[in-house]
Amino acid sequence: MPIRSIPRFALPFLLTVAAAANPRFAFDVLPILRAKCIACHGDKAAQAGLTLTSRDALLRGGHSGAAVLPGKPNDSLLLSMVSTGRMPVAGPKLTPAEVDTLRQWIEQGALNAGESPGAARPPVAQRDVETILSAKCWVCHGRREQSAGLDLRSHASLLRGGRSGPALVPGNPEASLLVQRIAAQQMPPPKLQEQFSVRGLTEDELAKVKQWIAEGARPDSEKPLPVQPAADPAIRPQDRAFWSFQPPQRGTLPATGHPVDALLPAKLPPASPQALLRRAYFDLTGLPPTPEQVTANKNDYPALLDQLLASPRYAERWARHWLDAVGYADSEGGNNSDLPRKNAWRYRDYVVRAIAENKPYDRFLTEQLAGDELFDHRTVTRLTPAQLDLLAATGFWRMAPDGTNSTEQNFIPERMDVIAGQLEIFGSAVLGLSLGCARCHDHKYDPLPTRDYYRLVAVLTPAFDPYAWLPGEFPCGGVGAKCDENSTRYYVAKATPEYAAAQAHNAPINARIQTLEASLAALDKSGATYKKDKADLEAKLNKERALRKTPPLVRALFDLGPEPPPTRILLRGDVASPGPLVEPGPPSILSAGLPEYRPVPLAHSSGRRLALAQWLTHPAHPLTARVIVNRIWQQHFGTGLVSTPGNFGRMGAAPTNQPLLDFLAAELVRTGWDLRAIHRLIMTSAAYRQQAGEGGFPLRRIDAESIRDSILQIAGRLDTTQFGPPDPVKTLPDGEVITTSRRRSLYVEQRRTRPVSLLETFDQPFMNPNCVQRGQSVVSSQALHLMNSDLVRENARFMAGRIADAVGDNPAAQIERAYLLALARKPTAAESAAALDAFARLTPEWTRQLEADRPAEPVAGRARWLALSTLCYTLINSAEFLYLD
Amino acid sequence: MPTRRDLFSRLSDGLMGTALASLLARDLPAAAPTLYDLTPKKPHHPPKAKAIIQLFQNGGPSQVDLFDHKPALTKYAGQAPGRDLASEVRAVRETGGLMPSRYRFSRHGQSGLEISEALPHLAKVADEITVVRSMYTTHLAHEAALFIMHGGRILPTRPSLGSWILYGLGSENQNLPAYVVLDDPKGPPINFIQNWQSGWLPAVYQGTRVRSEGSPILNLHAKAEDPAGVVDLTRSLLHRMDAAHRDRHPGNAELQARIANYELAARMQMEATDALDLSKESEATKEAYGLNDERTASYGKRCLMARRLIERGVRLVQVYIEGQIWDNHNKIWEGLEYACGKTDRPSAALVRDLKERGLLDSTLVVWGGEFGRLPIAQAPGDTAGRDHGPSGFSLWMAGGGVKRGFGYGATDEIGYRAAENKVSVHDFHATVLHLLGMNHRDLTFQREGRHERITDEFPARVVNEILA
Repeated sequence: MPIRSIPRFALPFLLTVAAAANPRFAFDVLPILRAKCIACHGDKAAQAGLTLTSRDALLRGGHSGAAVLPGKPNDSLLLSMVSTGRMPVAGPKLTPAEVDTLRQWIEQGALNAGESPGAARPPVAQRDVETILSAKCWVCHGRREQSAGLDLRSHASLLRGGRSGPALVPGNPEASLLVQRIAAQQMPPPKLQEQFSVRGLTEDELAKVKQWIAEGARPDSEKPLPVQPAADPAIRPQDRAFWSFQPPQRGTLPATGHPVDALLPAKLPPASPQALLRRAYFDLTGLPPTPEQVTANKNDYPALLDQLLASPRYAERWARHWLDAVGYADSEGGNNSDLPRKNAWRYRDYVVRAIAENKPYDRFLTEQLAGDELFDHRTVTRLTPAQLDLLAATGFWRMAPDGTNSTEQNFIPERMDVIAGQLEIFGSAVLGLSLGCARCHDHKYDPLPTRDYYRLVAVLTPAFDPYAWLPGEFPCGGVGAKCDENSTRYYVAKATPEYAAAQAHNAPINARIQTLEASLAALDKSGATYKKDKADLEAKLNKERALRKTPPLVRALFDLGPEPPPTRILLRGDVASPGPLVEPGPPSILSAGLPEYRPVPLAHSSGRRLALAQWLTHPAHPLTARVIVNRIWQQHFGTGLVSTPGNFGRMGAAPTNQPLLDFLAAELVRTGWDLRAIHRLIMTSAAYRQQAGEGGFPLRRIDAESIRDSILQIAGRLDTTQFGPPDPVKTLPDGEVITTSRRRSLYVEQRRTRPVSLLETFDQPFMNPNCVQRGQSVVSSQALHLMNSDLVRENARFMAGRIADAVGDNPAAQIERAYLLALARKPTAAESAAALDAFARLTPEWTRQLEADRPAEPVAGRARWLALSTLCYTLINSAEFLYLD
Repeated sequence: MPTRRDLFSRLSDGLMGTALASLLARDLPAAAPTLYDLTPKKPHHPPKAKAIIQLFQNGGPSQVDLFDHKPALTKYAGQAPGRDLASEVRAVRETGGLMPSRYRFSRHGQSGLEISEALPHLAKVADEITVVRSMYTTHLAHEAALFIMHGGRILPTRPSLGSWILYGLGSENQNLPAYVVLDDPKGPPINFIQNWQSGWLPAVYQGTRVRSEGSPILNLHAKAEDPAGVVDLTRSLLHRMDAAHRDRHPGNAELQARIANYELAARMQMEATDALDLSKESEATKEAYGLNDERTASYGKRCLMARRLIERGVRLVQVYIEGQIWDNHNKIWEGLEYACGKTDRPSAALVRDLKERGLLDSTLVVWGGEFGRLPIAQAPGDTAGRDHGPSGFSLWMAGGGVKRGFGYGATDEIGYRAAENKVSVHDFHATVLHLLGMNHRDLTFQREGRHERITDEFPARVVNEILA
């Protein structure tokens, strides 16, 4: 609960009453609590789940954990709250003497009258035991597999037990199989612990299991926290009134004229046709116009926009923006090995295709959130390309850094981190809210209680099951249902011809592998040639294994079947501190005016994500449309109408022009979520078409990918091949990361730990987990890259060669062509003269250099080419090349 | 139109600094709420240390073989570990019994600080250092433990301690990177660049990798230099073009800064080259750092470079080692001989050299890794090693306001778990910041509505007991 300011009059008077020497709960402690705390923390109110009416209630604590740790006053929350004056919130504080009484009581073991020291142990609840068993046992005795017929998930199944009998005998821990096997360190089996990231129980954990059984193994009788968005006590009326939690209003506009102009008048006159052409090309395609496109410019601007919006280059450029927002990378991140994410590109290709066909934004979101719930992928006999795309679209949920492919970083907390990363992406890229804070405490500024964070977690746990976590490797390599072919993060697209082909190809190889493995197992270990024979066989095995084809794999998210795992609030985000159960659902604050979130379970899936998508894309949703039109605006103008594109909450920036933002959001919905319509609307406005400069169109540097792609294009070396696995990067001995690819940067491998140096220097974001707004730095390493890198120097020479091929030997014509290529305009007379002068002086410099090498051939032609290259190099280094006027 | 504040937040190295600030002062309104630059900032309280050299020992040096003498291990040799220790073992199948150290420990200097014979050079400066024997961390994998050691949490998104220090203090030298990382030419550490990232702090506070061999900074030179005449012509033509472009956009600070960048790039070439030029050092100094011995030359070179950089006002230098040479899962005695052989002499030489130059009082030297090692054998036998041990480990500090010849804290009887005067990684961060004149609770950065800090919401205290 929020901590309000402490009224001054409540400052404690210094009382001189001494604390009792041996305080007892009923006589010394309870009266203090009654007087000052129980109004809010009694059986009726129980704020933050905390009651202070008995010693055991203090030990149990509330949503923030135990209030008292016997013997440890300094670690006890109760004492830190009252001694710092943070509690009571209202009413008189505790006197120093009262605080001392509490301190002494805790120090002496927090005893009830008549108890001997050490007696104060909090009772163990089933949920405490569930926390231990879920982390250490459920992988084999849970949702995906019930090894030895044993399921350790519910109270009933514990009593029922498995093939060896009931797992526990209430009241008798020593007779309980569960305790026996754990105590003997037979369970969890040491030989499986590493592979499945499970460890043996600690003394404390074992003691808890024993205590729970000794206390009768009582089941928890709890129901998930109920939430009614329309009447939610966790939300205050003033929270609901906040602008971004209200649906956007279209407003009334003048009948004629451009609606954007009515809401945002331009301050400067229109930009020149050339400047506008270059601006539109870069904004929509990330590339400059060719000289032919510049000279053919008919000033039919609307037609130009249509042409650009239909270009495959547009889809690539705007896919890049979306991929930033969702945190796309071709590697896992999360740990040092930063393993390649081999099939991430299928998601990238899905995004490019979706934008190319102008998929309505509501559909686009639905497919990414729940493509696997739009058809039954488990029973389909033949996957169509469109269905394959629906599965690839769920790669949206597989973008966050995920170090859980390492068995050392695949414990429950790290799994929760992956879910947290995904929710952070969902929050900042789609919802426009920062959700991360609510993982550990109720959000301090926005009406997002921790409960709502874990309700969103519950939307994902049927697929992201922390206790049945899918291995990242394919194939997994273990045994049992937890490791069958369908149990990796990769959806195996079985119902495809490619799969059948891979199977047919692999069948004879697999047979040979089996034979080899059998021979390997049969080798006589004491034989004289054992080592050599073993090495030979292993070499053959490796050879055969390398021949196998991998079936088509899609890095997708899909529910793991029925019976979703329980989802609890984790107190302070700590997996060892389970709180109340929650049901799936979206944040309450955003749900008041929307239809109820109600998942419809499907044969193969819980339907929870599909219901989330339906909720999110409801026309009256207050944030979905605003967030995306704001980011479109931001890509065109450098800054959004809300300058914090990932946070529309209280700590985000207020909109600079809410009527305009709301109008665009309403237009998006009205046009059937047509993103191109929004581009046209923005780009035909006078605000967009005005000159660059103070008060007008903001002068902007082109982004990292545009720099590299443009250099390749003007050198005539851009390879426009689309789709497929990314082109690799490599690290040079001096540490520079480069690529020899000539495809667009979108198709260059994005290893998190190996960003292409040039792109990184120009602010390509480090995906951790995502980026809704790139930085734009001005650092000297940028100058060093443009001046000295091979990419620039080499391509300047190609550019010069290309110019000579196109216009021949005339320096003036060459210079004009160079300007058209690099700057999309002709040089002015003065510029042309300056360049000619430089050319005339550069040529002899190069001649001298070439002749110093005692050449066997004439050098004149080469010197002129190098002089022209130097001019091209200078243009690439110029501010005008780098900035959009 | 970028504001002055925006612009400064985007300048990401030490080269812009004051020159740019004066450039901008002419063009922009004066009042600005926050300047994210590297100009020196006022600390919260008078600092003990002005600079810090962190000798980072990747892999987890084995405390019971180096700093933490545990005779009980001999007594219990071969016995099975308790359940708690067992639950912390990564390589469950290879677990062996308790394993005593092969090294003898003895007391050194006037302080009588106990150090093992594996570190003979450090032993000679025992009276200059404080050994903390009760460190503990919360994760047993390198990656996560490094994230918490550098960034304060096991998550990979956070700014490094060094970035926080720059954010709080700025730098004394505007022509060199303020936070220099000298990584090993033989290979990068685990987590690589994430060890010195600025996370969500402005990029200006990120560590800059400076190579100790070859060109120190990426693309400082072209592979094939153009003739001098061509370079001059290119520069003057570019300058004219950019000046004309800038004049078409009067008052645009970013364009101005970009032009300044091209000029400053050239200056960096000279400054960086000079700072790293060890030929100016005496033979005696080179010998002391072990530059004449193949085993110590590479590490010694970087320790010496660290001193030269600190002398020039660089705020923070981190020296890394190749990979994780302290990660002795097997053949630990061979592994320790290699790691100690590589680092012991240069580390001790650095402490002595700083002292002789009067720099030790104002420079904090920190030596340590991301965790320690378990006192049990991993894969027992001749080739035994030790597995990761996050619950208890040691590190040492010298100079910069810490006690001299002092041992602090203790692990339990077998050296497994910190037991007395425990020091968390958060305590360590709070203490380092304190020595540099900052309060970890007050060094905050506003982000998404939160006051972020290196110690986050973890309880953290300055370890006053080790302060001089």
